[in-house]
Amino acid sequence: MNVYLRLVYRNLRANLDKISLFFELIFPLFFVFVQGYALNGIVPPFELGNGVVISYSLFLAAGAVTLTVINAGTNAGTQLWYDRKNGMFEQILMGPFTRAQYILSIIIATLVIGIGGSLLVFLLAFPVLGASISPTIQGAALFVLALILGTMFFGAFAIALSVGLKSSETFQIVSTFAFFVFLFTSTVFFPATKAPPAIETVSLLNPLTYVTDIFRAGLFNAATPLVSLELGVLVVEAAVMFVIAVLAFRRIRV
Amino acid sequence: MTTSEYVIDVKDLTKRFGEKMAVENVTFNTKRSEVFGFLGPNGAGKTTTIKMLTTLLPPTSGTASVLGFDLKTQGRKIRERIGVVQQQDSFDQGLNVETSMEVYGLIWDVPKKLRRDRIDELIERFGMHDFRKLATLDLSAGQRRRLQVAREFIHDMDLLFLDEPTVGLDPIVRRNVLDYIKDKVKDGLTIFFTTHILEEAEYLCDRIAVINQGRIIQIDTPGNLKRRFGSAKAVEFNLQEESPPGFVENISSQESISSLTYDKSTKTYRTTTSRPELVIPEIYRIADRFRLTISSIFIAQATLEDAFINMVTEDDKETKGRETG
Ligand SMILES: Nc1ncnc2c1ncn2[C@@H]1O[C@H](COP(=O)(O)OP(=O)(O)O)[C@@H](O)[C@H]1O
Ligand SMILES: [Mg+2]
Repeated sequence: MNVYLRLVYRNLRANLDKISLFFELIFPLFFVFVQGYALNGIVPPFELGNGVVISYSLFLAAGAVTLTVINAGTNAGTQLWYDRKNGMFEQILMGPFTRAQYILSIIIATLVIGIGGSLLVFLLAFPVLGASISPTIQGAALFVLALILGTMFFGAFAIALSVGLKSSETFQIVSTFAFFVFLFTSTVFFPATKAPPAIETVSLLNPLTYVTDIFRAGLFNAATPLVSLELGVLVVEAAVMFVIAVLAFRRIRV
Repeated sequence: MTTSEYVIDVKDLTKRFGEKMAVENVTFNTKRSEVFGFLGPNGAGKTTTIKMLTTLLPPTSGTASVLGFDLKTQGRKIRERIGVVQQQDSFDQGLNVETSMEVYGLIWDVPKKLRRDRIDELIERFGMHDFRKLATLDLSAGQRRRLQVAREFIHDMDLLFLDEPTVGLDPIVRRNVLDYIKDKVKDGLTIFFTTHILEEAEYLCDRIAVINQGRIIQIDTPGNLKRRFGSAKAVEFNLQEESPPGFVENISSQESISSLTYDKSTKTYRTTTSRPELVIPEIYRIADRFRLTISSIFIAQATLEDAFINMVTEDDKETKGRETG
């Protein structure tokens, strides 16, 4: 069997905390089925771009799918933490593997969780989203690209964080905090263009904004020139974060 | 690179952490199917040596070949043919005893059928039946250790590093594990074994390197070490009173006495010497000076443990002398 398949299988089998994974899936569903509908009454439908007008519940349902991407990213950090805490990090590095294979296996496992989780939330949210999406090949490509790049960014971010912090408790606290900052300053809940300038600026610095905007644009066929720009920025951000994660990883002391 | 006839061939291997010399100019070699022991007190440099030889840590200087491969340039080749039981715990936290062996076999690419057979055999040999379905997180320290050692035998290897593998095991399990290792050696496995427990080294090792403060101070067979250092006698004595401050130091500082140990449970002082006829009057003289009464004193054959303690304390004294003088 291929070395990556073996290592990824192990990551998924040994290092996934099934209970928190369950809650990570439940969490977005509250936005889809409760919050979105509840706010429909006070938020009128608005234009997303490219002349596409959607209801708030649709807007939020799409945002909730991308939210799973950060959750998955945090998992990358947890996998590395468990391995270091339990002496498996060293054990694997003394086995028939290279450091690069090990770190890539974590990233791939994270992609599996991120994309698998998003698709699952997407399927569960289909009753809400289904009637309104207008799938095109280009849209589907944007959709998938957003999820992959987003998982890459947040996975790499969590790995860098995981290396830099002294204990797994600190990692949990800091990553949960970062999670909320990314979440509430992104366009998961509101369109940046309609927010006050200060919030718009912060929002446009946030990679989760790009992930969400690109994802929505793909889903509702609402791509604008801004979205192409966002795609370019996200590619760069994901690449930079990946390099930072690899550099941090190489500094882990054994 | 010339292929070495030795399984491990190390020359002047050194590891420095900042100012700290963890391993200093270590040179040794091991032959096929040999159990080579690293025996030394805590902090001697045993784990650091293993980390270097298993490619986890780059050496500061020196050269080494492992299984004929160069340590610096052929790490991957080495790692494919070795097994390692680390001193620190190592386990997969989401799995139980059986599934963690299963997954470990899988990452080593052991075919499924073979994996299953070996797991059953290892669970049997390591007496893990009762807890084979227990989550690794719920195992006792000793059970977890047993799993860690057993797990390593899932895959094929030519050389196995064991870093204090029996710590935390009860005597029966310990003997069981050591005997399993002996069987594997008969089948051609070479073992690099570290311990600070002397009987273990004596029971298992073909040759022992005594290591202290990063340097090898002796390499020989257990028998020879015993002959060379065991010709000395041990002098044991008991006092009627508790010993006052300064007494132990005073005795240890004598020229003819290399070290004095005290066993709390039997309240016995023990020292080794090649000249008991000089040491005994000396002990009486010092006891008298401290107004102490010796209730018993006798001469015994020195053990390998005496030899070991002697070597290490002599070495410590020398190092201290070199540093201050
Ligand atoms: N990563 C490290 N950084 C600094 N010092 C270290 C490190 N690892 C080990 N040491 C030091 O090196 C010495 C040898 O340690 P070690 O090889 O673990 O000894 P042993 O395994 O024989 O008990 C000790 O003094 C230890 O404190
Ligand atoms: Mg050690």
